[in-house]
Amino acid sequence: MVKFSISKGRYTYTHDQKYSCENVDIHHIILKSSRANYVFVYTLAVLLLASALYLCILGEKSISIVYYSVLFDIFLVKLLLRNPVKKESVVIMPAFGVQLETHYMSGKIIRCFVPIDKILKPVLVECVTPVTCYWTLSLMIRGESEMVLVFKSLRPPVKMLVHVWKALCSATDIKEEALNTCTTNN
Amino acid sequence: MTGLAGKSMDRKKHRIMMVSDFFYPNFGGVENHIYYLSQCLLKLGHKVVVVTHAYGNRSGVRYMTRGLKVYYVPWRPFVMQNSFPTLFPSLPIIRTILIRERITIVHGHQAFSTLCHEALMHSRTMGYRVVFTDHSLYGFSDAGSIHMNKVLQFTLADVSQAICVSHTSKENTVLRSGLPPEKVFVIPNAVDTAMFKPAVVQPSRSEIVIVVISRLVYRKGADLLVEVIPDVCRLHPNVRFIVGGDGPKRVRLEEMREKHSLQDRVEMLGAVPHAQVRSVLISGHIFLNSSLTEAFCIAILEAASCGLLTVSTRVGGVPEFWNAVLQGLIWIHFFAI
Repeated sequence: MVKFSISKGRYTYTHDQKYSCENVDIHHIILKSSRANYVFVYTLAVLLLASALYLCILGEKSISIVYYSVLFDIFLVKLLLRNPVKKESVVIMPAFGVQLETHYMSGKIIRCFVPIDKILKPVLVECVTPVTCYWTLSLMIRGESEMVLVFKSLRPPVKMLVHVWKALCSATDIKEEALNTCTTNN
Repeated sequence: MTGLAGKSMDRKKHRIMMVSDFFYPNFGGVENHIYYLSQCLLKLGHKVVVVTHAYGNRSGVRYMTRGLKVYYVPWRPFVMQNSFPTLFPSLPIIRTILIRERITIVHGHQAFSTLCHEALMHSRTMGYRVVFTDHSLYGFSDAGSIHMNKVLQFTLADVSQAICVSHTSKENTVLRSGLPPEKVFVIPNAVDTAMFKPAVVQPSRSEIVIVVISRLVYRKGADLLVEVIPDVCRLHPNVRFIVGGDGPKRVRLEEMREKHSLQDRVEMLGAVPHAQVRSVLISGHIFLNSSLTEAFCIAILEAASCGLLTVSTRVGGVPEFWNAVLQGLIWIHFFAI
């Protein structure tokens, strides 16, 4: 049952409750596949092959130039059209943990589970690269110096990240309150 | 850099981007100027963002006092703390920052900063209002200066306003860049008197202590120091020197110290952290500045603010504020008695 959904550009965010248990929260970020990428890469490959053939037949160069261009084409296609990501999900099970899933176009799913007591805090961080600057949602893990990225391949806009961040905050806060009440009772 | 009266609160609030290769954790005139100016603007209610290159591990977004946001863009410094001049490859990150921070004014600092030039060029292309502050005097004859002046002419061709720290600096900038003089404002630097105040107890007058704090480079007259110190020590047996700062000419000073056996009369402190500059200054009676060229020389102001007598080479913008310094000194000594 889809509770909430927003869409911006190529990214769509949905918040749903697949399971009857009301506590389990699932947040998806879905990437709309773009045909333009494929068209561009294959056109480039065809152009490269065509120019190699031209050089070979009319320019009277050796046939090895065609072999090399075919190899280079395969390498280019593999590099630019690597296993694309279809969807990334966050399954929040409040007293248990958070499961991070990456769904690929080929049907492969990679899952990563983070126990709730390992999570110190979910944070929204600005990442600066030499060419751009973007927001990411990360989990600070107890005892580790590296943070765990919630969305590893996709870069959704910050408006969508805020909803997931709030849900993660409330899940970790509940756990902290439970811990505190346990310690005061004992 | 004193604050304006209450009516400034009714004026529109700007979102200002300061760009320079020189910022904290480096300490220097330009760095402090950018920091203090940003703090004053934040106090007036404007929003300020600083863009500079990464320093070692310090890369990404950092926040300083009063919410000053600093972008340490992960580019390695190329030569003398400057980023590599890339021209168009710097456009994506500058554009991203300009749009995400909703900047209204871009303020570049220091003619020697490649990042500043590129940011000003890209900002102007995108239609933002652009201000440039020049902090130093430069020559016209050597190869480096000729090339930099050409770049400056391109960058400042379309700048909205320019600021210089003294009238001498304004003359120098106008001649180098071809800017119309009416576009250039002169706003002298200021010193934080809360930080640089005289010592409660004056140092004893039994021996005279002369303090020198500067980068030990050719431009700051380190070679003059090497000539002057032995002569002064010979003529006045009750004089002692304290030399703070580091640089390529430090070796020459150490050699001079060894040659004339002045180890007990000349104390070399090495690089002095900015927070400790005042404590070094108040241990002396006289401050010596031997720069070959200075657009402003805030070191003299800092020393005067701490109650020292100042001796300086008569270069660049120094004579312009000399009278003010002298008057200030008279007041400081009057209150100290």
